[in-house]
Amino acid sequence: MRVEKCYFCSKSVYPGHGSAFVRNDAKVFRFCSSKCNKNFKMKRNPRKVRWTKAFRKAAGKEMTVDSTIEFEKRRNVPVRYNRELVETTVKAMKRIAEIKQKREHAFWKNRMAVAREKLKAHRKRKLEKTSVKLVQPITPQAEKVKEKIKVAVKTRSALVAGEGRSMGMEID
Amino acid sequence: MSTSGLKAIAPVPKASDFLDIVLSKTQRKTPTVIHKNFKISRIRNFYMRKVKFTQDSFDEKLGAILEEFPIIDDLHPFLSSLLNVLYDKNHYKLALGQLRTARHLIDQVAKDYVRLLKFGDSLYRCKQLKRAALGRMATIMKRQNEALEFLEEVRKHLSRLPAIDPTARTLLICGYPNVGKSSFLNKVTRADVDVQPYAFTTKSLFVGHLDYRYMRWQVIDTPGILDHPLEEMNNIEMQSITALAHLKACVLYFMDLSEQCGYSVEAQCQLFHAIKPLFANKPTVLVLNKVDVARLDDLAPERRAMVDEIINAEGVRHVQVSCYTDEGVTVLKTTACDALLEHRVDMKLKGNKVNGILNRLHVAQPKPRDDVIRAPFIPDAIKERKKYDQNDPERRRLERDVEAEEGGAGVYNINLKKSYLLENDEWKNDVMPEIMDGKNIADFIDPDILEKLDALEREEEKLEAEGFYDSESDMFDSDDEREAVAAKSAREKKLISQSTKKAMKNRAALPRTAGLRTLSELTSEMTKAGLDPSRIQERAEILAKVAGAKRKRQREEDEAQMDVDEDAEMGDGGEDEWMDVDGEEAPRLKKAKANSGAVAAKGARHPRSNRQLAGMRDEAQASKAVKLRNLGQRERNMQARAGESDRAIKTKMPKHLFAGKRKMGKTDRR
Repeated sequence: MRVEKCYFCSKSVYPGHGSAFVRNDAKVFRFCSSKCNKNFKMKRNPRKVRWTKAFRKAAGKEMTVDSTIEFEKRRNVPVRYNRELVETTVKAMKRIAEIKQKREHAFWKNRMAVAREKLKAHRKRKLEKTSVKLVQPITPQAEKVKEKIKVAVKTRSALVAGEGRSMGMEID
Repeated sequence: MSTSGLKAIAPVPKASDFLDIVLSKTQRKTPTVIHKNFKISRIRNFYMRKVKFTQDSFDEKLGAILEEFPIIDDLHPFLSSLLNVLYDKNHYKLALGQLRTARHLIDQVAKDYVRLLKFGDSLYRCKQLKRAALGRMATIMKRQNEALEFLEEVRKHLSRLPAIDPTARTLLICGYPNVGKSSFLNKVTRADVDVQPYAFTTKSLFVGHLDYRYMRWQVIDTPGILDHPLEEMNNIEMQSITALAHLKACVLYFMDLSEQCGYSVEAQCQLFHAIKPLFANKPTVLVLNKVDVARLDDLAPERRAMVDEIINAEGVRHVQVSCYTDEGVTVLKTTACDALLEHRVDMKLKGNKVNGILNRLHVAQPKPRDDVIRAPFIPDAIKERKKYDQNDPERRRLERDVEAEEGGAGVYNINLKKSYLLENDEWKNDVMPEIMDGKNIADFIDPDILEKLDALEREEEKLEAEGFYDSESDMFDSDDEREAVAAKSAREKKLISQSTKKAMKNRAALPRTAGLRTLSELTSEMTKAGLDPSRIQERAEILAKVAGAKRKRQREEDEAQMDVDEDAEMGDGGEDEWMDVDGEEAPRLKKAKANSGAVAAKGARHPRSNRQLAGMRDEAQASKAVKLRNLGQRERNMQARAGESDRAIKTKMPKHLFAGKRKMGKTDRR
């Protein structure tokens, strides 16, 4: 039993899943799903299809060169069974997986660092543009005391409903 | 035709049939219409054509027969002598010769009569000439009847001859009648020849085929031969003689020691000596048949001597066979075949062709490179191992024995891991894990994995020391925090302002009542400003009264046509608020308004002028205008559109159009 890799998207294909295609030159192509199979039949290049691991690795979005990757490789020479070896191998696998994950995270962060700088700069600019600069508020003038004064009636103007724009009155 | 070298021959018709064929062909294929007042040249042509056509047909058919029948002298000597035996070479040649002569004669006749026809002066004369020509040709053909019949018989017989390849590997079976030749053929091949107790059951040659050493062998069964001189032999015996004479084969001379065939051993031996010359240059096997009845050892000494004479003197092989009990049949087969093969090889070696091949053959012998002996490696344990003997009580215990002890095949499960060679025998029955966390363990198994892991750990420590995993940019500053919060609030505000901006787009910026003022407001403001509002107040009251009276009249008019629903909204309450004359006109109906938000006057129901009739001359025109309007609206109403600018589609994809099968037709287009 082996967990194979899908030829197209590089996902793990567990036993009992997916399909395989054998070409006339005896090269076997395994697929995780009919999606990958159909893409393959359409002669799409996985290195150009964005969601596949092949693209991501080729475009430098994933870590490709690392010492943890050399631990996992297909060996064609069988090793005689040794219980201790298998025990240590299992433990080592776990540790290697941890380290690999850490390194991948570091890789990702490094990749995003550039974006983070950009984001910060963008935010700064935006804030400068839109933020309202709070200045010392204007103190309202002290309310004037209104005096009643008697004024002689001047003209009889028929004031009907005004335009409504101004609160103040026009005094002839 | 099955005999190799002879092809299928078309049937030869009798003379009368022949004539019929040719004459009817002439009648069909040449023009038939002629009249005496045609031009004479035309008449002559007509009849000449008939004569010539008949001649050509005869020519063609006779030619075909002559072509197809084989020329005996051109065949393999075996076939030619066989044909001679069967059909008499001379008779055959004569028949064919006669046909040839007939053909020639017909040609002459035709030539002569055509020449005569050239000078025919009337239809009658030409016709007679033609009749004469055809008649003569017919007579010639009628005379060939015998020849044609003979050739037809020959053809029929030829087609049934067995396919004998004179050049292939052959075993020839001969001997007295009834000795068991055909039985042997039946045994050894798939042939099914008649085997009967009377003599001359087999009357012609029969062929069977057998396979030996990946090659095909012909076995030819011949009719029995009697011991009399060649001249006295009949047709049937002659066939065997022919076969014996011309085929390069291994001869199997069958003898019957029990004399059940009716012929004595002496007679058989004599026959052998008689036809011995035919066996020159052929590997011979003396087959002593019917040994279930009489064995060679049981023979009387004189007879024994005779047989021995044959065996020893000529260097002939002998085999004892019983076709009845199958004893020795295979031995005979192998002996005969091997003998023939040897003989053929010898012949080939002696011949000239071999040199041509030998030149091209080269058998390469590898030369030893050095003195080192490279012997195959066999471990000592194997050399000293005792050979397994089933009957030995001290034989070693096999898996089979274990299986038998434990309960047999269905009960005992073989543990293949029993004999694994591991460092520690306790590990023998371990089940090794194959997959973990989505990875294959087999991909990681490495004898050096511990060293590699240590190297990795050291590398890891180094990286951590360097600070590879630190992330300063990860620290969230207070500056950053402030910025983040500010950005968030800015975003929210932006969203709100955007949405309000959009909402306000289609709205008047100020409500209609923005500039409206009540009378009390007006008076109070004016007073505050120090002005006298009394005149304004009076005027306002007057105006209000006038307006109110008008409105009352309108209301009374409307009440007659008013619907019941409109009772609910009495607009007068609104008017009261608008023209608040210090509450004097209070007893007006102050019912709750339907939309309390609008300050607008409900007098909008009765505008001053009726826009719809404003531009019309008279009622007729007005009604026409109404009709035209309705006509224009009808289309839109049918499409349930609110107005001419309404392009709304309520359901973009009604299900009945975009889903489901059609009752008839294709669903290519939706």
